[in-house]
Amino acid sequence: MAELKTKNHIWLHIGLISFTLLAIYPVLWVLALSFSGQQSVGLIDLPQDPTFLERLRAILPVPEHWSVKNFTEVWTEQQFGRWLWNSVVISLMTTLLGVFLACTAAYAFSRFRFPGRNLSMLAFLVSQMFPGTLMLIPLFIIIVKQLELGNTYIGLVIVYATTSIPFCVWMLKGYFDTIPYDIEESALIDGASRMTIFWRIILPLAKPAIAITALFSFMTAWNEFILASVFMESEANYTAPVGLRFFVGGFSSQWGYFAAGSVIVSLPVVALFLQLQKYLISGLTAGSVK
Amino acid sequence: MNITEHLQRSAALGMGIGMLLLLVLSSWMFRSEELDLGVQQRERSAVLQANALVLAVADTDAVATGARVRLMQQQNPQIESVVIIAGTQMLASTRAEDAAPRQLRREEKPLYDLSNLIRTARETNLGEEVVRKKTIQIDELPKGRLVVTLPYLSGGEYAGILQMQFLVAKAARESGSGYMSVLLLFAALLVGALLRLNAEKRFDPAKLLALAAFLLLALFYQQQGQERLERVMMQDNRAIAAQYLAAAEQYDRLGYLPLRRDVAAANLWDTDHYQRPRGIIAADGSVVAEGEAKQLAQRAGFMRPILWSIDLLAACVLLLFIYGYAARAYAAFRKHLDAYLYVAPAMIGMLVLVFFPFSYGITLAFTDTTLFNESLPFLDRLIGWGNFRTILGDFNIYQETADGFIWNYQNFYWTLMVTIIWTVTNVTVGVTVGFMLAMALNTEGLRGKAIYRVLLILPWAIPNYITALVWRGMFHPQFGVINQVLQMFGMEPVSWFDGVFSSFITGLATNGWLSFPFMMVVILGALQSIPKDMYEAAEVEGASRWQRLRYITLPLLKPTLIPAIVLSVVWTFNMFNIIFLVSGGEPAGANEILVTKAYKIAFEQYQYAYAAAYSTVIFMILLVYGFFQTRITKATESF
Amino acid sequence: MKQPLRIILVAGTLLMAGLFTAAQAAELVLWHAYRGAEKSAIEKVAKMYEAKMPGTKVATLAIPYDAYADKITASVPRGKGPDVFIYAQDRLGGWIESGKTVEPVGFFMDEATQKQFLPGMLDAMTYKGTVYGLPLNYKSITLIYNKALVKTPPRTSTELVKLAKSLTHADSGRYGLAYWYTNFYFHAALMNAYGGRVFDKDGKLVLNSKETVASIKQMMKWYKQDGIMPTEPSETLVSSMFNEGKVAMVFNGPWFIGEISPSVDFGLAVLPVIDEAGKKPMRPWLTIEGAYVSASSKQKEAAYDFAKFLASEEAGLVLALEGRQLHTNAAIYKDARVSNDVVLKAFHEQLSSAEPMPNRAEMTMVWSPATTAMNKVVKGNATPEAAIKEASKAVQDSINALRKGR
Repeated sequence: MAELKTKNHIWLHIGLISFTLLAIYPVLWVLALSFSGQQSVGLIDLPQDPTFLERLRAILPVPEHWSVKNFTEVWTEQQFGRWLWNSVVISLMTTLLGVFLACTAAYAFSRFRFPGRNLSMLAFLVSQMFPGTLMLIPLFIIIVKQLELGNTYIGLVIVYATTSIPFCVWMLKGYFDTIPYDIEESALIDGASRMTIFWRIILPLAKPAIAITALFSFMTAWNEFILASVFMESEANYTAPVGLRFFVGGFSSQWGYFAAGSVIVSLPVVALFLQLQKYLISGLTAGSVK
Repeated sequence: MNITEHLQRSAALGMGIGMLLLLVLSSWMFRSEELDLGVQQRERSAVLQANALVLAVADTDAVATGARVRLMQQQNPQIESVVIIAGTQMLASTRAEDAAPRQLRREEKPLYDLSNLIRTARETNLGEEVVRKKTIQIDELPKGRLVVTLPYLSGGEYAGILQMQFLVAKAARESGSGYMSVLLLFAALLVGALLRLNAEKRFDPAKLLALAAFLLLALFYQQQGQERLERVMMQDNRAIAAQYLAAAEQYDRLGYLPLRRDVAAANLWDTDHYQRPRGIIAADGSVVAEGEAKQLAQRAGFMRPILWSIDLLAACVLLLFIYGYAARAYAAFRKHLDAYLYVAPAMIGMLVLVFFPFSYGITLAFTDTTLFNESLPFLDRLIGWGNFRTILGDFNIYQETADGFIWNYQNFYWTLMVTIIWTVTNVTVGVTVGFMLAMALNTEGLRGKAIYRVLLILPWAIPNYITALVWRGMFHPQFGVINQVLQMFGMEPVSWFDGVFSSFITGLATNGWLSFPFMMVVILGALQSIPKDMYEAAEVEGASRWQRLRYITLPLLKPTLIPAIVLSVVWTFNMFNIIFLVSGGEPAGANEILVTKAYKIAFEQYQYAYAAAYSTVIFMILLVYGFFQTRITKATESF
Repeated sequence: MKQPLRIILVAGTLLMAGLFTAAQAAELVLWHAYRGAEKSAIEKVAKMYEAKMPGTKVATLAIPYDAYADKITASVPRGKGPDVFIYAQDRLGGWIESGKTVEPVGFFMDEATQKQFLPGMLDAMTYKGTVYGLPLNYKSITLIYNKALVKTPPRTSTELVKLAKSLTHADSGRYGLAYWYTNFYFHAALMNAYGGRVFDKDGKLVLNSKETVASIKQMMKWYKQDGIMPTEPSETLVSSMFNEGKVAMVFNGPWFIGEISPSVDFGLAVLPVIDEAGKKPMRPWLTIEGAYVSASSKQKEAAYDFAKFLASEEAGLVLALEGRQLHTNAAIYKDARVSNDVVLKAFHEQLSSAEPMPNRAEMTMVWSPATTAMNKVVKGNATPEAAIKEASKAVQDSINALRKGR
């Protein structure tokens, strides 16, 4: 590592920059569309027998005219702010519930050996295997008809949390496995209870994994569209993805509005990631505790 | 010897609980069957009378129709009322307050709608050359009332509906023998108590004896039940035949009798709800032996698998006890209560919200439910393994023609192959790119990490509905960016969605782009758990970078990487959006994956059950994968 | 971590409490899939109805189109959902066949109401002889052209090809004509000109006919031989090209008007007559939206009265002028504000040669095989005859699977 540090990572930067440019190229098209003030995706405009440079100019995602009209329209036409707020609340509740339940279950899977352990682990995995297309009606029956949770945050939160739990459990279990058992053992000998160990030792050590599962749970709830539109019965309770879909589908599609809305909707995710990413950098790692 | 030990040595507990379970389930089954037969008998008798009346008034004028209807109602006390509706008119009614004929009132809309429904059903059955719509509608009202509605014909043509309301007392039936159950339970306990089990021996004769005795008792009980049901059905047939003869005589006396009563003719009064003769009672009132045998066989065929499942279940319970699993499970539960409590909250949510929909889907797969028949009762739609046979038994994978052989893209196995290739390539791309980026971004002292990280998660953060559209646009042959770039470097443009391979590439590129940020983040997180001192120690010992990667990073990433890979295999296998939005399965459905196929079957072809069977097959494939994958990874668990 | 859990529980309890205490005033619930001007117009009409019928409350709910059908299919047969909902006729047959979704309304409908509609509209709401809804508005494609490029719109296919050829420069991506010709919905206008049909009047599939084949050949002539249309068309491609002045004429519907960029001066005209089809006009399919009374509504008569109001002249004028809808009430086209409106007038004229799209459930099975057939022909992988034969067989198989005897 030392010799890398002295090299200033020139080649690494070159590689990363070119890959990043490639990766965000489609995103730039979305941005260009959202700032174009128009509804249709801009086309490549080429003279006959174009030169290399003319082609290069044509593929740069820059709108012809800059305008924030799409953004203002999206924000003012309907109660988009309200929907964004609903999404934030639902996604955060999902994250808290999902991560909390997943942590306890994953801890048990990692630290206890009990009959039925492998079967339960598999059961969590199995829950992701049935194609979702046919799940809408049975979910409707449970949530809206039986539990009467239609048109509430809770109804959606329950569904989203259970959708994200399997990944969280597996991910956290894997991470907990990497935390050496001797730390706990010594605490147990010192007379600490399992609960204390879980809250005071394991969870702080697992911060990177918890950050990832939190991000994942949040995203599960954040982008879901069909259940949210089927379960909610008043416009005030819609979430942002539902609001976004008003612009497309059916006969006409306002792709400009959709792009602007997508940009707005992805900002909170980026903000959340900025918050969470400090856990991915350094902090306490399992090894340094020893 | 204390009581627990004693119980473990004897088979009494297992025999008792197993037999109790068997008795409860079987008798519940027989009981509901008997109730069902009772309902059917009531309905059948009502249908018989309704069919008779409709035929009796088919070719008469309005006045005679009214008179005949009234007379029949007066002569048969269980007929409470009869009305005939044609369009918005009430043609005849036996209720004095109706003052028929008259216009229907606004609150009588259901009658008008019902007449339209029955007309449509009749037309559909005639027009489509298959009978699929019930033309007789039966409604059970409270207090033993039964309403039968069927087409009212005039000159062979549909003219309206005839609706009869009956008040039928429940058929008196000999009640089931409760003492038999008690006797059997007692016998089971006795046998169990007499046997001494040997816990050490796997093939203990006592255990085998217990099982044999148990099954013998079970089969005896169920055989008795079956025979009882058969007796009831035969009695019912005779009752209907008697009723038929009495009614025919009555009509004959009044001179309305519209049917010939010779043996050869089918009985047009005793029909099913589609107005097809049942073929059990002949026109002369005798019971047709083959018809009855068929009826009995049908019912037995329906009962058998259910009874067998009950036997199997009860036998399993018995085995659990005599092999001591039950005791061990109980002990384990006591001992590991803590662990179960930790898992329980997540598990309960999972059970309710995931396994109910699963069982819903899997049950659906064993029916022939489509849009057209989903309102029929569940048992009418149950068909067993048929859908699975159709899906898995279709080996028409390619056809040989003059120009060589052509793949049949609609075939299940082609789609399965595409799905597997799709999954493997996508996960490989996602994991490789994610891993390389995570390694790069984990380099110590690299500047601008935060910026790279945020930019690189953008593909994940932006709703994929729009990015998929952008990608689709980028692959357009004339206006797409990718072909422009190819042309910049002097290459020929490609019609991306025309070829099977190039179209596959469009999906792969898009999905790879969408999935690498997730993998990158997961691996970044996992890298934090690797102690830095390990690298330092390795470096001191002179390990090369490759060796450090191979012997430190990869093994330590495993616990978190494997779950991420397993789950992303499952997700990619069922990745609906990208295929649907980017290539749409082009060309000609060659690039469909199983889940998009299931979607099309359900929502474009409305074959819900077939789509459910498709989904169940997908589920089974993934289950097998998950099972083997976890078996393999178990060996690598760190402790 | 414990605190948030408590917050969740408290929030959940409050929400539940709120849900149960909210008094359910007797109100009519209307579902629709509108946004923008259409949404404002329908909400205004609902307010008008409240004013007209004191004591009646109308609540409207907009649902994104992509989730709309699923939402109805999931909720209405289970006793939930609206009193009235608006949907096009394409799903009607399916909902009627599966039952417990759409209430028949023929019984309520008086003669004056039946006569108020433009010709053909009520047919779309009628399934196997029973009326299930009140038609509200219709959509069809028509010829839309860029006035800067086209002085007088073509009246015949010969004129169309001649004009389009003069405007096509494939090398720089400019074409005379563009429409989503591989999409069977758009192609139907040509097919109907030739007299091709999907179903006969008894519901038998008659897709595989020489008329349908001839219409595909006509489309292929425009695309291949005349070269006046771009490759791989799609909704987005057509609108992008039209907005950037790269295509002079498009066949598109009223939904497209809102997507046209303000910089393009456009005109509308009736679709051309096809000379090759014996001078028969192109006859596009009509998509007709109706207001249906939900089978699970507790107040069906009141719901019908509201639906009837939506179809009335009074509501029609608002929906047409403010919502930019082509209302089905014939009376509104006599109003000067409507008859002087270029767009509304143009689509109303197209109505004289147009026909309702079939409302049978089996129609859903046609789209995918038919579109696959069109793509195969366009890409040169099959002759029109073979492609249509194959598509027809696929559709027939699906239909047979659906119409299984019991």
